[in-house]
Amino acid sequence: MNQATLLLTGHDDSSVVVDHLCDRAIENDMAVACFYYDFASREAQSPTNMLGSLLKQLLSGLEAIPAEVWLKFQGQKKVIGGRGLLLPDFVKMFPAILSSRRTFICIDALDECIPKYRLQVLNALGQILQTSPNTRMFITGRSHIRGAVERELGGRVISLSIKPKDDDIVTYLRARLRQDTTPEVMDSELEDDIMNSILEEIPETYVTVRSPETLHK
Amino acid sequence: MSRAFANNIDSFNHNNVITFTAADDESKILAWLSPLEPQVRHQDIRNQRVDSVGDWLLGTKEFRNWYNGCGKDESDHAALFCYGDAGVGKSYIRYERSSV
Repeated sequence: MNQATLLLTGHDDSSVVVDHLCDRAIENDMAVACFYYDFASREAQSPTNMLGSLLKQLLSGLEAIPAEVWLKFQGQKKVIGGRGLLLPDFVKMFPAILSSRRTFICIDALDECIPKYRLQVLNALGQILQTSPNTRMFITGRSHIRGAVERELGGRVISLSIKPKDDDIVTYLRARLRQDTTPEVMDSELEDDIMNSILEEIPETYVTVRSPETLHK
Repeated sequence: MSRAFANNIDSFNHNNVITFTAADDESKILAWLSPLEPQVRHQDIRNQRVDSVGDWLLGTKEFRNWYNGCGKDESDHAALFCYGDAGVGKSYIRYERSSV
């Protein structure tokens, strides 16, 4: 483990939030759907696939598929082996599914989405928020997309700047070092050296530290 | 939701009891909606996560207001956007290169 193999991402914050919400949703008849953008999968993560994925998660929690969705499917399956829906079709389906319970939608690393897709997705999310007052959205991303997020979601969004917590970084590094597969070459001096050289390298960022092999799993 | 379903069907057909969503159809519908499975990635990230890292966010005023807020309030923010700088970009460039 050295500096050259360390990469920075923010996925952990999102996954903490998603788990927190899931735990509460199970007890309180609420729904949670999440989506993790990933640079490596950016082509497959089109706006329709992304919204379809959220819808799919929300439908899984229901006792029956709502008529709006069922009828749409029955129509589309007659042509070209099940023609897909367009973005406006998805947007129209959400209110019926979101109206019955409080729903949390979490979107991680929106900056890793293709820019053209990002604007389409934000626009769709804005419309969904407008038509579904029971819905809360949690979005993470690097600061360069803040303008686009605030433009598309307007007064419905509040932005929170995330700075690194040194405690988090230290906790994370210690835990990772304890998992070293060659503990016989590790001693406390080497551990401190590693910690210090990493901490010196960390710029002001909202991230925790993850190694590349965990990133691309 | 089943009530919304029944009402909607009533507008097409006055038979009250129609349950035509076979389990079989349901999995086809879900697959048709999207080929992506984000729960897999969530599980991966969750398994890699170290206990207590990131927990501070849950205690912030912004998070709590967002979590407890109600869309019917005028001043409510239904969306919370958490942003941060990626640093000077060195790591990010390496990330881009290694994932292409």
